[in-house]
Amino acid sequence: MRRRRFIANILRTAALLGTVPRVVLGQSQEGDRPMSLTDPEAETLSKWCDLLAPGAARAGVARYVDQNISGRFGESMLLLRYLDSGAMLPFYRGGIAGIEQESQHRFAMGFARLDPQQSGEIVAAAARSKTEAWTTPDPNFFYFISRSDAVDMVYGTEAGFAQLDIPYLAHIDPPKPW
Amino acid sequence: MTDHTHDPVDVVIAGSGIAGSTMAAELAEAGFSVLVLEAGPERKLSEMVSSQIWSRRLRWAGPEVIETGDLVGAANFAMGWGTGGAGLHWYANWYRLHPDDFRVNTLHGKSLDWPITYDDLRPWYDHAQTYFGVSGDAKADQWSPQSDPYPMPPLPLSRQSQALKKGFDAVGLALVPNSLAVNSQSYDGRAGCILDGWCDAGCPIGALANPLVLQWPKAFKAGAKLRHHAYVSKITTDPSGKRATGVEYLDEQGARHVQPAAIVIPACHTIWNARLLLLSANDQHPDGLGNGSGLLGRHFTSHALTTIHGLFPDETEPYRGVTGANTLCLEGYDDKTPAKGAFGSRAWLAAQATKPNDLLGLALARPELYGAALDDYMRRAARHYGNMTVLCEETSIPENRIELDSQKDRFGLPAAKVTNTLPKDNAARSDLARAEGLKIFKAAGVSAPWAGQRAPMHMMGGTIMGDDPATSVTNSFGQTHDVENLFLAGASLFPTPGAVNPTATLAALVFRTAKHISDNRAALLR
Repeated sequence: MRRRRFIANILRTAALLGTVPRVVLGQSQEGDRPMSLTDPEAETLSKWCDLLAPGAARAGVARYVDQNISGRFGESMLLLRYLDSGAMLPFYRGGIAGIEQESQHRFAMGFARLDPQQSGEIVAAAARSKTEAWTTPDPNFFYFISRSDAVDMVYGTEAGFAQLDIPYLAHIDPPKPW
Repeated sequence: MTDHTHDPVDVVIAGSGIAGSTMAAELAEAGFSVLVLEAGPERKLSEMVSSQIWSRRLRWAGPEVIETGDLVGAANFAMGWGTGGAGLHWYANWYRLHPDDFRVNTLHGKSLDWPITYDDLRPWYDHAQTYFGVSGDAKADQWSPQSDPYPMPPLPLSRQSQALKKGFDAVGLALVPNSLAVNSQSYDGRAGCILDGWCDAGCPIGALANPLVLQWPKAFKAGAKLRHHAYVSKITTDPSGKRATGVEYLDEQGARHVQPAAIVIPACHTIWNARLLLLSANDQHPDGLGNGSGLLGRHFTSHALTTIHGLFPDETEPYRGVTGANTLCLEGYDDKTPAKGAFGSRAWLAAQATKPNDLLGLALARPELYGAALDDYMRRAARHYGNMTVLCEETSIPENRIELDSQKDRFGLPAAKVTNTLPKDNAARSDLARAEGLKIFKAAGVSAPWAGQRAPMHMMGGTIMGDDPATSVTNSFGQTHDVENLFLAGASLFPTPGAVNPTATLAALVFRTAKHISDNRAALLR
């Protein structure tokens, strides 16, 4: 039921924002996990990750993160679990808020409305630890973690391997990409 | 919460990984009643899904480790969660410490000595390599210590190794087949490796020796029991404090359980071994069990790791092979003073199978790239990437330590805090190795190789062994000086780390300790 609500909310938000729902949500996954991010947060994360690894939005990075910060820590598939055993939702929520904060500081508008050059400027600032308004969580660490999430989606699945034209060579095929 | 008191057992072991499961199998086969308590969930071979994404569920999900210093990070990456512990995702690099690694203080006036020599441990190394099944070429690797021949021939040279070998040849260093607890052919009922490069996600065919296919079948057959979601929080002692009476553990709901045992063996990883003894402080041992020397938690060590990366002109098939390393260079390992101001051994592990994502994947080899530049790099790296990693020795010093922090974990217990700062002469050694690696890559035809940041790999020490109770926590059998029926198993016992992966030594020590316990059965079970 929660998943249905998530989809309904995203559809509504997407309609309001004029975005394509499947780009925000990306690839559909089975499951009935609770929704943790808000719709605008999911959209910001999706756009952010798509700048890091083009194709991440369509591949479902927002849902991937949302699903994996909503369940039990031990079941999480996010790289963040290697580097921080703390609560995952505050980390992502803080990072997304940082992106918005930086966007407002630099361009006086939300990240979703930035053009590619503007949004790219914020990514570059985070990658080089040169953000002006966003301080926590560490922008460079957030870049590192969210880039890994984006890479998982674009290059780390069977479809990603195929896109790179390398064999997957599975012993046991993943029951689903994530 | 209500206490649950369970029936006594001869031996209770905390941790079901390589140390714990090997000990369980050995002692159960020797006739002891053995119970293993595992903090994580039950694991099955079917969970070893070939995916870097899915594989993360095998990694540590217990209480957080607080890390400080300049050589820390990613403790969760190195530890396991569930049956088999880190043994489900280890890389199976299989090396012996060298004779000089056991006498560093005597030879160099720094670090520590072990209470045993290489010759003491050699028969146990020989036994362990037969037990686990090791492939390699001892004849070619003339820089490794003397040993029985490996049970299996080496894995074939990968295309990555072939590309790298040109560089090693050019600088006059020998690159030889790696020694691995990976079957190059069928061995002991387990299949040979098919070189699919998914070791990091677990090897469901058992070509890579892991506890689900190796130790646990033996242990279960001999009657050992395994209880999951059992987080050991304390070792209890009798009123004299000289004998352990068992352990307390918490289940998933936080309920406290009491497990009486005649022999207690923490085997729950370096950090948790030390922390458990610190958590077990009582009136007789106010600073923690086994801490009569005041050194419990101290002399933590790691290996300073640097990875050299490059894109080769020819295709290298980086996605194929084994995650550990296909080839090895130990030439020069025994020179611990390669330059003024630089100290420690180094080992090159070359040609690690690399998938696109995860901490050791292609993408994170170039973390500064994103967008179109990342995509361009990924498309080339997927076919032309090569790498090798150098492990450098860290001198054992008391300042590097495991201790209890004021922060509490989810069970309300003090969190583990690890402090590890690389001594300057070890850092200088690491810098020399970095330069050496870049030179090798250039000699192999890579125009613009690059080096990753220095990072820690492997965790050792904290409950070090020694002859003198005033300067060590346990004797050479891992038996604490202060509590006669309390033993430790794992790399936490290492006084010095050498510069090679610790599992072969860990396993050799487990076999030696198990024999000691078995030989002293009557006295220990009294």
